[in-house]
Amino acid sequence: MSAVLFFIAAIGALVGAIGVVTLRSPFYSVLALVFHLISLAALFLLLRAEFVAAAQVVVYAGAVMVLYVFVVAYVGGGEELAAGTALRILGPLFALAVAIELCVAMLGSGLKGISSKGAPYIAGFGSPAHIGRLFLTKYLFVFEVASLLLLVAAIGAVVLARRRRGLEPYDEDFELAIHARRPAGTGTMAEGAGTRPAPTAAPQPEPQESAPPPPPEPEPVES
Amino acid sequence: MSSSVAVVGFYEPWWIQIIKALVIFAAAFAILPILTVYERKLLGRFQNRYGPNRVGPFGLMQPLAEIVKFATKEPFRPTTSIGYMFRIAPMIAILTAVAALALVPFGDVQHIFGQRVGLYGIDVSIGPLYVFAFAGISFYGIMLGGWSSGSKYSFLGAMRGAAQLISYEVSQGLALVGVVITAGTLSLTGIVHAQRGMWYLIPQFAGFVIFLVASFAETNRAPFDLVEADAELVGGYFTEYGGTPFIAFMFAEYMNMIVVAGIATTMFLGGWLLPFGIHPPGWVDPFVVVAKMMIFITFFIWVRATLPRLRYDQLMSFGWKALLPLATLNLLVTAILVVS
Repeated sequence: MSAVLFFIAAIGALVGAIGVVTLRSPFYSVLALVFHLISLAALFLLLRAEFVAAAQVVVYAGAVMVLYVFVVAYVGGGEELAAGTALRILGPLFALAVAIELCVAMLGSGLKGISSKGAPYIAGFGSPAHIGRLFLTKYLFVFEVASLLLLVAAIGAVVLARRRRGLEPYDEDFELAIHARRPAGTGTMAEGAGTRPAPTAAPQPEPQESAPPPPPEPEPVES
Repeated sequence: MSSSVAVVGFYEPWWIQIIKALVIFAAAFAILPILTVYERKLLGRFQNRYGPNRVGPFGLMQPLAEIVKFATKEPFRPTTSIGYMFRIAPMIAILTAVAALALVPFGDVQHIFGQRVGLYGIDVSIGPLYVFAFAGISFYGIMLGGWSSGSKYSFLGAMRGAAQLISYEVSQGLALVGVVITAGTLSLTGIVHAQRGMWYLIPQFAGFVIFLVASFAETNRAPFDLVEADAELVGGYFTEYGGTPFIAFMFAEYMNMIVVAGIATTMFLGGWLLPFGIHPPGWVDPFVVVAKMMIFITFFIWVRATLPRLRYDQLMSFGWKALLPLATLNLLVTAILVVS
């Protein structure tokens, strides 16, 4: 039974991985990657690493890939990206290097495991409690460094998004433009929800007048 | 896995697991049509009308008539759609919803035919993470359905679904972490047993409210049903679906509602436990759980009849600026209280 599941999941992982690099459409490529990640999660389950499997699906398939799909579905799909000549030469070289490295690693350590029965299953292995205990004792330093790295990445993302003209100022300009054309207290959804005060001193509506030209781009915020 | 080191609590024979799976699925499958009538009749009462009352006694046969109507419709898809994805998407939606149902515990371990049978599909060590894993995959049902329809309404609905699901999943998860910290276990039956003294509704009230609000968004129910905002998007991601694939999406939506109600019952309302020290025999447990789930489902319908739909930016700013900080604060306070 476990052998059948293993081969289904392994073939799924391989097909997904091949699909990522061979499919032309970026959307299908991302979907192939999702398929690959879910197959990997099934392989983790077969190794009794329930927590890792769930984390794999929740974090990668359920969050990271969702953003990929989001972006690709909005902007991707049109023209095909033509790879430059440098990329055409370097790509296979890097792939070859990774393949050699993996072969060395596998031949060096994995071959010994084939003849033995493998590591025994210890009760509680791979459970969240077990993993949590290891994180806070044996691998505490690595765990903290990794969390620091994630924090830096999160702050960096916020800073970068802010430098590139966030949505807020533009939204306010847009709202102002709308205001100029609408009598005060006509009851928009924003007024009703209280997110924007009712325009008490709004300018008189001027029909047949186009909205004021959008103000110039605000200066990038120094952070 | 022939290792002798492994120690599992107890192992149910394979036939019991299959029977359990069939019984739980059949029960949920039987409840779902009744739920649609229940929702429509309740909505009718809220809106000062009768609701469906023509087919069968009290209109109870209404879903049967509708299923026949949907099943006999001509299969149709737009020329711009992508055929096989268009067909796969409802399957993903149903599969993930039913898989998540397996986690809801309907009762304690019972002795039936000399076997120890847990009245739940599975009791995994990762607990709620299992539900979140399938919630993560269920996104692809919505996404593929909207994208492969080749229609702008569907696409926009799916995109809203994407943003909404990942925004509110975080708050929902953090609200549950408070319960998990208090109970000290991830197993859902363990969490129910930990509520013997007091249901977590009281010590984790903030978490309960946050979970409930986030659940509205996760299940695409009003007032967060922007995914299928019919005033602006016709029908959202299933605009182009008709016939049985459409039923599949509706089935998944109601099933998700049942799952969320089950998780809320387990996490906050003490699962199959009854207050005031009442200990009914074991076979009553599933009915207690279903009754508690019906409280949540009634509340879902009530809110749908009461609150108007939010605007999209309100949804996002509420999720990220109000709900997420609250959930984090709740988690921090809980952790401090538990440790100290």
